[in-house]
Amino acid sequence: MSSEAQAVTNTVADVPLSRRFGWIWWVALLASGALVLLLGYTLISVAILGVGVWGVNIPFVWGFDLINYAWWIGIANGASLFAAILVLRRHDLRTAVNRFAEGVAFFAVICAGIFPIVHLGRPWLFYWVFPYPATFQVWPQFRSTLTWDFWAISTHAIVTSLLWYVGLIPDLATLRDRARTRAGKRLYGVFALGWRGSVRDWAYHQRAYRLVAILVLPLILIMQSTVAFEFAVTLVPDWHETRQPLHFVATGLAQGLSIVLLVAVLLRWGLRLGRYIDDEDVDLLGRLVLASALVSGYLYLDEIASALLAEPVPQEATFNRITGDYAGLYWTSIVYSILIPQLLWLKAARRSTVAGIFVGISIGVGVWFDRFSIIVGGLQTDYLPSVWRTYAPTLPETGLFLGTLGLFAALLLLFVRFLPVVSMFETRHDEHEEASS
Amino acid sequence: MAQLFTPAATTLFRVAIVLMGLGVVAAGAMAYVWARSGSTWNVGKPAPQPVPFRHDLHSGSLGIDCRYCHSTVERVADAGMPSAQTCMSCHSQVWVGASVLEPVRSSFDLGQPITWASVHRLPDYAYFHHAAHVTKGVACETCHGRVDQMTKTIKTQTMSMGWCLDCHRDPVPHLRPREAVFATGYEPHGQGLPEDVRMFYQEASRRLTSCNTCHR
Repeated sequence: MSSEAQAVTNTVADVPLSRRFGWIWWVALLASGALVLLLGYTLISVAILGVGVWGVNIPFVWGFDLINYAWWIGIANGASLFAAILVLRRHDLRTAVNRFAEGVAFFAVICAGIFPIVHLGRPWLFYWVFPYPATFQVWPQFRSTLTWDFWAISTHAIVTSLLWYVGLIPDLATLRDRARTRAGKRLYGVFALGWRGSVRDWAYHQRAYRLVAILVLPLILIMQSTVAFEFAVTLVPDWHETRQPLHFVATGLAQGLSIVLLVAVLLRWGLRLGRYIDDEDVDLLGRLVLASALVSGYLYLDEIASALLAEPVPQEATFNRITGDYAGLYWTSIVYSILIPQLLWLKAARRSTVAGIFVGISIGVGVWFDRFSIIVGGLQTDYLPSVWRTYAPTLPETGLFLGTLGLFAALLLLFVRFLPVVSMFETRHDEHEEASS
Repeated sequence: MAQLFTPAATTLFRVAIVLMGLGVVAAGAMAYVWARSGSTWNVGKPAPQPVPFRHDLHSGSLGIDCRYCHSTVERVADAGMPSAQTCMSCHSQVWVGASVLEPVRSSFDLGQPITWASVHRLPDYAYFHHAAHVTKGVACETCHGRVDQMTKTIKTQTMSMGWCLDCHRDPVPHLRPREAVFATGYEPHGQGLPEDVRMFYQEASRRLTSCNTCHR
């Protein structure tokens, strides 16, 4: 190993292996831990008291539960699609951002999975959507979006966790070799699955990693479309559109990329990984975020164009969403997910930590408002004028959402603490290539 | 440096993976058997009752008709439990002053219903209608078993949804002529039905297995 490669391994591996981690990490973990407690409280309250504690009511049978589900799934999809493409293209950027793109995707799937389960009303019977030989002798309703959710989330969780774990194996072996305590060595050793670093190991590893990455590509498009179909298959005028999957895939990709950008600049700043996630990497990521925001913008225009061409009822529904009671949601979404990212045209903004954090959060917020606008705004003028009313989330719903944010943050914090956040083996590989050329 | 793992570790790891797989299969098989066993559904388990009422005596030996006590079974969803007046129509003459009948007498005096413990309780989301069944040829004993032989009232069927569907998917073999609905020990089922009734139920099974037939 060259001295340079040694240096990479040191900086990245030292983080999970050191005993101290600074007070900022502890404060952040405590804060997110408090939110996880809030999550537990809201989950228990909804399990005991039922979904009546939420603000949902006919026609708004879907509120924060589906908004946040669709939002988290978008992050998961965007991040894992990005990670998979980098692996398959063997792009240089993968060394810097792949590992935490995979981590972000996996943790977002966990957060997403909570919502469809609690929104069942009797969450302890969630396994009823799984086709098993039940004593009630009927199969789940395969035309129901509930069963689609089940398959979508479980497949997604398996594939994203595999992508993340397979990528980790060689680095777990490095951690095993460098761990200070014997217990640490053995723990990392078990998860490294007996990695020896032989040519055969590498060949198998490359094959497995790329295989899982290929699996991700169709999976992501199908999963995001599944979420979109949950709306599109209903007869609600604003939802019943064939363009819905495209809208969800594109805005979800923008959102996933923006969260990857956010986490990248935060880690670079927090763990001083500037050398491994360099300016070029962040710059490229910024361009990707900008491009995906432009695609989202195009789809917003497409929405208006297809509404103009549509029949009166869906046309009215779409324009009602844009100009009606919930117009604020729609326009907030436009400002945050389309207009603010235009900052990234400036090179200085692409390379600045503050701008990265700002735009990353901004697109996340924007897409959240977009989901809110679609789910709530789409329902405001249902066919029955007698049920025209408004929806507002109650505290338990807000708590649930904040709780999943806390869970996501806590998982990320533990991840940066105990596992290498930048792929050490990919970085070493890159540096060897550079040295030999 | 000492080796972290012995050469046997790999074998051990593989064995652990296989065992975990087998464990999952075994857990599934156990859950399958458990979910179908009678004890899971409280089959054959009597409930503690305020009065040691004996169906074998009243219905079996004395031959009192089911409808004498469960008087609304042919008209509404609930078969109906007898009021203390019904009991006292006999027990004001027989077993007067028996200590086991004390709850019946106090119920009669105070006008408070006796708190019987339910043996056949369906979940709240299942809408079972006694009259709909009884008037269409489903006999009491088809679901409740030989109550006329029970010292303590027990469930003889699981009353699971699958058990309901066994009949709803193909009702004809379980039906009787209307005059035999309250008979006990009637054999055989499915015989003596008029041909048009037979045809009707063969076509009706699709409607009888709709979700909203029972879950409204």
